[in-house]
Amino acid sequence: MFRLTPVRSGALGLLAALGLYAAFSAEYFGLEILTEIAILSMLVIALDMVAGFGGMVSLCHGALLGIGAYAYAGLTTMTGADPFLALLGAVVLTGIAGFLVGAVCAGSQGIYFIMVTLAFGQMAYAFFFESAAFGGDDGIAGVPRLDLSGLGVDLGDSRSFVLFCMILLALVTLFAAHILRSGLGRTLVGLKTNEQRMRALGVRSWRAKAYTFGISGMIAGLAGVLAAQHTMYISPGLLNWTVSGEALVVVILGGLGTLVGPLVGATAFVLIKHEVSALTPYWHLVTGVILIAVVMSGANGIFGFFEAQLERLRNRSKPAVEGKLKQGSVHDA
Amino acid sequence: MDIGFWVFQTLNALQLSMLLFLLSVGLTVIFGLMHFVNLAHGALYAFGAYVAATVAGGLGYWPGFLLAPVLVAAIGLLLYAGLIRRMRKSGPMAQVLVTFGLIFALLDLTRIIWGDLAFGMELPAVLSGRVTIGSVEYPTYRLFIIALGAGVFGALALILGRTQIGAMIRAGVDNDAMASCLGINVERLFFVVFCIGCALAGLAGAIAAPILSVTPDMGLQILIPTLIVVVIGGLGSLKGAITGSLIYGFVQTFGAVLVPNLASVLIYALLAVVLVMRPAGLFPAKG
Amino acid sequence: MKTLLSAGAAALATTSLVHPAAAEDITVGLLLPYSGVYAALGQDIEAGFRLGLEQFGGETDATFEIVAEDTEVKPPVGLAKARKLVLQDKVDVIAGIVSSGVLGAVSDFVDSAKVPLIVANAGNDEATGANCSPYIVRMSFSNGQVNRPMGKWMREQGINTVFTMAPDYAAGQQMIAGFVEGFQSAGGEIVGQEFTPFQKTQDFGPYLAKAKASGADAVYVFYAGGEAISFVKQYDSFGLKSGLPLYGAGFLTSPLYVEAEGPAAEGVIAALHYVPTIDNEANAAFVATFEAKTGRTPSEYAAHGYDAAHALVLATAAGATDRESIAAALPKVSFSGPRGATAIDPATNNIVQPIYVYETVAGTDGLTQKVLAELPAEADPANGCDLAAASN
Repeated sequence: MFRLTPVRSGALGLLAALGLYAAFSAEYFGLEILTEIAILSMLVIALDMVAGFGGMVSLCHGALLGIGAYAYAGLTTMTGADPFLALLGAVVLTGIAGFLVGAVCAGSQGIYFIMVTLAFGQMAYAFFFESAAFGGDDGIAGVPRLDLSGLGVDLGDSRSFVLFCMILLALVTLFAAHILRSGLGRTLVGLKTNEQRMRALGVRSWRAKAYTFGISGMIAGLAGVLAAQHTMYISPGLLNWTVSGEALVVVILGGLGTLVGPLVGATAFVLIKHEVSALTPYWHLVTGVILIAVVMSGANGIFGFFEAQLERLRNRSKPAVEGKLKQGSVHDA
Repeated sequence: MDIGFWVFQTLNALQLSMLLFLLSVGLTVIFGLMHFVNLAHGALYAFGAYVAATVAGGLGYWPGFLLAPVLVAAIGLLLYAGLIRRMRKSGPMAQVLVTFGLIFALLDLTRIIWGDLAFGMELPAVLSGRVTIGSVEYPTYRLFIIALGAGVFGALALILGRTQIGAMIRAGVDNDAMASCLGINVERLFFVVFCIGCALAGLAGAIAAPILSVTPDMGLQILIPTLIVVVIGGLGSLKGAITGSLIYGFVQTFGAVLVPNLASVLIYALLAVVLVMRPAGLFPAKG
Repeated sequence: MKTLLSAGAAALATTSLVHPAAAEDITVGLLLPYSGVYAALGQDIEAGFRLGLEQFGGETDATFEIVAEDTEVKPPVGLAKARKLVLQDKVDVIAGIVSSGVLGAVSDFVDSAKVPLIVANAGNDEATGANCSPYIVRMSFSNGQVNRPMGKWMREQGINTVFTMAPDYAAGQQMIAGFVEGFQSAGGEIVGQEFTPFQKTQDFGPYLAKAKASGADAVYVFYAGGEAISFVKQYDSFGLKSGLPLYGAGFLTSPLYVEAEGPAAEGVIAALHYVPTIDNEANAAFVATFEAKTGRTPSEYAAHGYDAAHALVLATAAGATDRESIAAALPKVSFSGPRGATAIDPATNNIVQPIYVYETVAGTDGLTQKVLAELPAEADPANGCDLAAASN
């Protein structure tokens, strides 16, 4: 189960403060990077809910994000729907898609789960790539941003848009934390730890999994809506499995099953990518080596590492509770 | 569509199946023994193709064909000693992620060593012609791939089924703790199997190089088909690898010809159906 | 290195904004893929562009600073980098863009930001058709333009029926549509068409059987990059080349890939707007300096970069100093370059250039391109573009 420990609340507060500072001080390209971080963070929070807490390592979250982006873009540019309604429609649609994937895949485990989700994701990718109605590989241009002029906010402005994304991200983070602390979240972690025992207790495992996947899908869909508004252009590349793979790397890099880690991971990943790619076109090599180093270090990602260090410091004075708060990491998955 | 058409397409399907078999068998046996999926398998295949194309450019086809598996096995040895062995105590997820990082690293290493331009590889005269089978004229080299794949399958079936080392591997797949209690050096077994799996990936790269283009992302392109094969077949078993390869080869080939509109979705739909019906694939090594 | 360059360029750009008098410093944003599947193309275009600035830079008083950014062939990344170039580096003009997807993502933005963009590859017909913009000038080609005249030419060679193949995406469909239009209007018949899943098809064997069974006189295809290599080799290995000659859009046997294709490419006849063996003075100079610099024969991609730089130099020589004046001057540019007489069609801002039919043949020094015919330059139909109306 997710615990909002002091370390985690502190880290969330620190991240929020840093984010706000950056949003008000950054130059143009800094804002662009910050928006990228905020949207990626939302996607990886969705992924951490299913992978970190539910043990369902998904390779279709890129596709869920893409479906959200396409639904929003399609509704606004083709039917002329109001952007607010389009946003809601997109989120509901990805929620349903996530629920269905979760329900169908609930019986699969480990690598098999990864592969079925991959299959669904790639089917969605192929659909949009070949669909003439959605522009095929040309994608859809001219996607509008939400009109908040009623509130006196112009989302066409980069700084306003980044703040808008960050507010939504904060809400999503709190929402995810709430879900994970609810009965559903407890059931989910129970299923991850010992599915047979939970079933013996009368829990219908597929339902917990499907609901979580549905909620995770809604968050991924919202990230997709924001991505579509950010670039104002979408293409099928959003749905490719490599997007899901990258999101998984980000979750691991930050710390699986901590909810805070993915935010750290997204920040680190985007910054590393931009800094390294400014120096060399071979930034994949650097990212790959960092990923290997993080996993081999035995720590649960960057955040997991700091969390463990802080716990150790605290436990020096209170040896009795040592290790009690240790979260599961990839190493005992 | 006459009989010649069906013979021709069947040979195409077999050729694709055998190429995938060479790749997937290493992956699946490594999984059976060590319980992790080596995602860098595709990168090793690309490496094999580059080695073969480079060596063939200087020394001719056969040295390239023979050296590629050896060099890729040597890389496998380094990976095992440097990374995989240290990860033995961690869970499978951590191992998968290390190999995921390796994909990134190896992809860029190939670009640094060989550049971004595609390579090609020429065939020796003896394999470059065509053979007439009934009414069908078919490239000799593609028949060679089919024969090679079938030969490797036969040899592996024989080794796994009839020799002592095969019995040891089967014991290890079944229950490695028990096997090790019985005096089998499981760690050394892992090492040998890992290197052989890598050598087969290198071999697949070497035989693919002359018919495909050798590009840095070829490993990434083949990874998903290979994973689909092992997952449809069921992880860990030779029977699963060959069945999965044949299913993939035939569905892909005949799908492309008979229902071209669905060609790119068909195999994913099949994968989803198989896994929903049988969540552990068709022939998993363990119940 | 790129950071240093961009920092310097950004500083320069700022000063040029403050003092319009010093506006001869033109900051150029190069927006190219340096990683991903088109990395090799990006490198060739950049080499050509830098060579072009070096070669023709003396014809203008302006000096040029280059800020290079990697699109990774991903539309969102390309758009983010374009915004960075415009809003942070304050570039006067952007050049580059290999993939039509990235162009689609960037075009609305450069149009609304009023920043001139010189397209150095992406061939999507729509970019100088329905989606054209007074700020987007194309110095490369359009998908239809390369293939349309080839239909007529093949008809003149006595070819009556053709089977076509291409990858199933926008460029593939437009290339084939261009050819089909030319071929059918000259009285030819298309007996079969296949569109193969883009970048997922490694084995063309299944499709080749259909081509053979169609009974066509010839096969016409568009494939590029890795797919072109696989296709040409597999076409030859099935022994189709002798009975069913292979024609195509010239990217099929581009100098960049022909070495990897080897003897399988011999005898393939294709149409393209540039090959290194075009016989004119400007091309001889281009090939010689490019080879001296890089050790490679220039590809059509290098020519796009070279001519884009040439056009930019001429625009500034005509007095253009900032975004608005560069955008206004570019469509008026015309010169005699490696591809022969090259001009911009003011009705669409697309390039007007001759198309060359060439055969890949064995030369003394590997494979080379034998030019069979030079097909006269034709401007693309306006296709929904109303630049001409707007300028009047």
